[in-house]
Amino acid sequence: MNTTTAGVVFAASLAVALGLTYRPFGDYLARVYTSERHLRAEKMTYRLVGVDPDTDQRWSIHLRAVLAFSCVSALFLYVFLRLQGRLPFNLGFDGMAPGQAFNTAASFVTNTNWQSYAGESTLGYLAQMAGLAVQNFASAAVGISVAIALVRGFSRSHTDRLGNFWVDLVRTVVRVLLPISVIGAVVLVAGGVVQNFHGVRTVSTIVGGGQAITGGPVASQEIIKELGTNGGGFYNANSAHPFENPTVWTNWLQIYLLLAIPFALPRAFGKMVGDTRQGLAIVSVMAVLAITGVFLVNGFQLAHHGTVPTAVGAATEGVETRFGVSGSATFAAATTLTSTGAVNSAHDSYTSLGGAVLLLNMMLGEIAPGGAGSGLYGMLVVAVLAVFVGGLMIGRTPEYLGKKIAAREVKFAALYILTTPALALGVTAVAMALPGERANMLNSGAHGLSEVLYAATSVANNNGSAFAGLTANTAWWNTVLGISMLLARFLPVVFVLGLAGSLARQRTAPVSSGTLPTHRPLFVGLVTGVAFVVVALTYFPAIALGPFAEGLH
Amino acid sequence: MDESAITGESAPVIRESGGDRSAVTGGTLVLSDRIVVEITQRPGESFIDRMIGLVEGANRQKTPNEVALNILLASLTIVFLLAVVSLQPLAIFSRAQQPGIPDNAALDADGVTGIVLAALVVCLIPTTIGALLSAIGIAGMDRLVQRNVLAMSGRAVEAAGDVDTLLLDKTGTITLGNREAWAFIPVGGVDERALADAAQLSSLADETPEGRSIVVFAKTTYGLRERTAGELPTATFVPFTAQTRMSGVDLATPGLRGGGRQIRKGSASAVLAWVRESGGSAPPDTDHVVDGISASGGTPLVVAEVLTAGAADGGRTARVLGVVQLRDIVKAGMRERFDEMRSMGIRTIMITGDNPLTARTIAEEAGVDDFLAEATPQDKLDLIRREQAGGRLVAMTGDGTNDAPALAQADVGVAMNTGTSAAKEAGNMVDLDSNPTKLIEIVEIGKQLLITRGALTTFSIANDVAKYFAIIPALFAAVYPGLDTFNLMRLHSPQSAILSAVVFNALVIIALIPLALRGVRYTPGNAMAMLRRNLCVYGLGGLVVPFVGIKLIDLVVQFLPGIR
Amino acid sequence: MIVMASPRLPGPVRQLLAALRMLLVLTVLVGVAYPLAVTAIAQLPGLRHRADGSLVRAADGTVVGSSRIGQPFTDAAGRPIPTYFQPRPSAAGAGYDPTATSASNLGPEDVVDMFDDPATPGDESRRSLLTTVCGRSRAVGQLEGVDGRRPYCTPGGVGAVLAVFHRDPGFAGPVVRVVSVNERCPAQPFVATYEGVRVECATPGGDYAAGQRVLVPGPGRGRDNPVPPDAVTASGSGLDPDISPAYAYLQVNRVAGARGLTPATVRRLVEDHVRGRALGFLGEPRVNVVELNLALDRLGTG
Repeated sequence: MNTTTAGVVFAASLAVALGLTYRPFGDYLARVYTSERHLRAEKMTYRLVGVDPDTDQRWSIHLRAVLAFSCVSALFLYVFLRLQGRLPFNLGFDGMAPGQAFNTAASFVTNTNWQSYAGESTLGYLAQMAGLAVQNFASAAVGISVAIALVRGFSRSHTDRLGNFWVDLVRTVVRVLLPISVIGAVVLVAGGVVQNFHGVRTVSTIVGGGQAITGGPVASQEIIKELGTNGGGFYNANSAHPFENPTVWTNWLQIYLLLAIPFALPRAFGKMVGDTRQGLAIVSVMAVLAITGVFLVNGFQLAHHGTVPTAVGAATEGVETRFGVSGSATFAAATTLTSTGAVNSAHDSYTSLGGAVLLLNMMLGEIAPGGAGSGLYGMLVVAVLAVFVGGLMIGRTPEYLGKKIAAREVKFAALYILTTPALALGVTAVAMALPGERANMLNSGAHGLSEVLYAATSVANNNGSAFAGLTANTAWWNTVLGISMLLARFLPVVFVLGLAGSLARQRTAPVSSGTLPTHRPLFVGLVTGVAFVVVALTYFPAIALGPFAEGLH
Repeated sequence: MDESAITGESAPVIRESGGDRSAVTGGTLVLSDRIVVEITQRPGESFIDRMIGLVEGANRQKTPNEVALNILLASLTIVFLLAVVSLQPLAIFSRAQQPGIPDNAALDADGVTGIVLAALVVCLIPTTIGALLSAIGIAGMDRLVQRNVLAMSGRAVEAAGDVDTLLLDKTGTITLGNREAWAFIPVGGVDERALADAAQLSSLADETPEGRSIVVFAKTTYGLRERTAGELPTATFVPFTAQTRMSGVDLATPGLRGGGRQIRKGSASAVLAWVRESGGSAPPDTDHVVDGISASGGTPLVVAEVLTAGAADGGRTARVLGVVQLRDIVKAGMRERFDEMRSMGIRTIMITGDNPLTARTIAEEAGVDDFLAEATPQDKLDLIRREQAGGRLVAMTGDGTNDAPALAQADVGVAMNTGTSAAKEAGNMVDLDSNPTKLIEIVEIGKQLLITRGALTTFSIANDVAKYFAIIPALFAAVYPGLDTFNLMRLHSPQSAILSAVVFNALVIIALIPLALRGVRYTPGNAMAMLRRNLCVYGLGGLVVPFVGIKLIDLVVQFLPGIR
Repeated sequence: MIVMASPRLPGPVRQLLAALRMLLVLTVLVGVAYPLAVTAIAQLPGLRHRADGSLVRAADGTVVGSSRIGQPFTDAAGRPIPTYFQPRPSAAGAGYDPTATSASNLGPEDVVDMFDDPATPGDESRRSLLTTVCGRSRAVGQLEGVDGRRPYCTPGGVGAVLAVFHRDPGFAGPVVRVVSVNERCPAQPFVATYEGVRVECATPGGDYAAGQRVLVPGPGRGRDNPVPPDAVTASGSGLDPDISPAYAYLQVNRVAGARGLTPATVRRLVEDHVRGRALGFLGEPRVNVVELNLALDRLGTG
């Protein structure tokens, strides 16, 4: 089997695995959020926390709960990181500087996991597991809860209630994330991911030099890093690190895990709105975009255009031998398509066009399939816009799942769609206009521009991966990117919950043959087209001056 | 009154005080007699004022859908402004990467020049659809006006496109205004021709549509010539009264005083009572025939005669001749119309005062989806509310004051111009032709309006892709020669490329005005086929057309003086 | 620590308190209990060795590293020790430093070196990725005795990049000046003339940005170069323990020679250490250098 064939089979095997779990996992998720029963552990949690699990929240109350929880989380994490020096298990590391602590707290609470620090030289075990990893669970659960609230907006009729945020949050952790994480972490340990509290162990190497072998509770954090589409690595090298991702099959498993929830949620959506074909349509749009992304990154990486890759004879700079070019390209595509941001290779060293596709993957707005929860709600917002345009073309006030898409719905959807480009392009433009911030680019010329554009785009889409050449641990970058992450996460959440509230209030109109069918291939094509055209029109100039300028000769 | 100013119909109409026909509209002429008018409308809000306002679009309020579309377009505009504004620092940086490249008209050390930046913004922001949006709305109104329908608001026109349920009055809309003779069924061994003759004779003076139809039916089916009153000098016609519930004719036998023939036709009970009074009896099969016709949804008219031999002997023979079957005649092409509606996803409900049996028969024949029989105004209102509670939009027509509540409740209420002022006030459209079938056309116009909006929006946004392919390489190919790859159209020079894009942008608005005014072609059909077609034409077309258009303009523009 | 909600508190405050309690519950559950539980399970036999870092021991039983983490096989001066198989270049700290894991993060078009200008304070020198690759390929070629010349590389092992100045703006008109930007004076440029103009060497602090950048392909091969790609590129983590089988086989003769073993013996050892694709399609064939060198040492002593 040659490299290309192996790469194709590798990607295809992931697609097959995701296809096989789509139904059972999606159905399970739907049951989790529709079940009336509380587990004993959950009841205990509600009692401890002091919330009534059986109250149904209005969208404004739901939103306030999301914001209150995230706000408390961010403050808590900020204080935790600042005070690291005085807490146990700090490996001798001092507290984080204020700017970096703010950036990191914002990053983990928003499911971005942009890292302006290097794990192995900044953070001790307690900060990693009781600080960051908690947010890996919590931020993913928040995203899913918001998505479920939007789904309820579609499925419910003539009500102002969207469910209970605390219940969705707790159930996501207890019934979905935690069980998979426990099993998955043990599986990862079996693959060679470390899980210990040994600290740094200095050994004398074979030829007598010194080498500091690091340790840490890595497996328990690694698994949720992927499953929750977080992406913040225990170590700086992230999933390229042999202790985070030691073998080819852990690599496969990590890619699968970071795609698992985002690809299963459409099924839960279909189940909850009572028409699984609707979920299939949504997941088809995701799949079309995702397969295109994976195919293009692989294609460009294997073709290795560009000066250095041509000189080398392969795009192996920044690529681990065990994963190979294709195993890295597929990971890179998956991580940028899912807002995960974990990396198993250096995106900065990718071929220009391969890097361009990674950028485009994020610019799609993290909807194919996007982050845990955020992918579904992002895609549904795009679908709402597609329905609006498409619905007009069949001569009716557009309807999606029996809900009219009128001024209020379009307003929320449009604001949602505006947020990310405004942040991505705004931060890029300002950074490029400031000579000091520009100076943090490692690479010169168009590639330097790509580094800045990538950082701004990654953060504005809550992805967190980087063209890591950019030195982002400066006061300006920490602050601006931190604010950008917070806005990129919570403004859309406001709009999504507003949209959910406005949809739930409507009566569900019956489907007739005059209604736009939203489960047919044509609709899949329409949503794909809308997503692509909006992205192309928004980002074409910027991306032309970055990777395209560099990569086209 | 001559109401032609409003209706275009020059035939005079009668208006009288009290009752349903008491309202007059400004701009009408009194042709005879005199009228006293109380003006209840405030100045500037009269019917005529509103009509003018709507047509001119002066005080036109944006409809909900237009508002939604405007929000979308505004946000797209912001996106494009962002894309262009943020381009500037990137352009300055990129330009600085190539100090060996001389400044040009589009790009210098200060970035993209102002005029080119402005050109880029103008090309990208959805000016096309923005400019045409009002035109599309007004053109929609105008199409209604051309069909003699006045809409009180644009909202109503839009709602018309959304209608899920259509309430149609049976009489006049689905069926021809009146029942017609359909068969003569003799009883008691009477000859069919004799029955036809008697029926025709009895109806000669009957000017009701039913009566006329009997005369015509006898003539066409049995070849019985219609006799004029002059041919029957001895005939005395007996008109229909509410008391007798029958009409007919008395034919005196010449020379026989007091002798002659009396023919009556009317409702079964009245005619049978008359026969019994005259000493006759009904043949046993009469009841059977009468019930059979009623059961099949028709109306039975019994025809009977009394023969008087003369005053001398006073002998009278009374007998029932047979039954005329009257029935509703469904207008031609209604079934196809309703099938069409069904494929558009619109449910049709027939409203009638008939009994359920009759209603069912007509409903089946006409092909409507459902019917409401023995409908009272309250029933109609309840039906509308029920449909609306299920999330459906309801359209209906009406003319009487008793229709007013339902017209007001319906999402689209079309009042007949012949109707009462209460009805006209309650509805949100007035059909000047008073043709209830027009509701179907109104729905189509509403749909066409929305389709035109959607199609032009799609077209306009899809256009932008090509403009990028013209302008971005023109701006930056000097700095990054690789970007010339995007110059798919192989445009002559950066200058001609930008100019061509701007010219195309201006021309396309002009080119689309006729389409905006005429409306996108609408052929009723299912949503899927329509979407596919419109996506192909306006989506893919919107992508491809500007590539061709800009290239063609470039081929011309490059010869302009001053263009390199 | 757990504060029960008081009904008298205003709504937002109650919600913040509930949020805080929820966070604390989650911290205890998934931030403490969960990693500890996983750690406990990881103590099971069979898992423990891996959870501890898959440490490897030399023949004398001392821990000499981890089989998963690559390590340098260079002497104190950073020169490759010929008796050992060499791993890939590393960008982690000074090389294979697990406390500073990193990739080079240099882009595919990073082709121009910066030289330290003695006239200015500080060291501005930076080697481009192209020059780095060219230099490594040349060094490996020399070490293993093969032709390591690559496209866009000078024979001297730097990027073959010219700045070409034209008489007229927009790179028009005849060439007036050519500089080989990666060859610092007084180096002899890799080509004497370009379009009839003598090629100059580069002076530190010289600004050649205005020139048209021309990459000279040269005679070297990229694909199918005897020095395989992984030998000239750094990995993503800087800790890559593996090399390609091609790179391992390339080193067989040198290692055998240095150790006084027959090439066949060493080759057989390499063959034993080649791991193919898992399940036939996962990943790439590879050789673990740490394990191979340990086995080599055992071979030598045994």
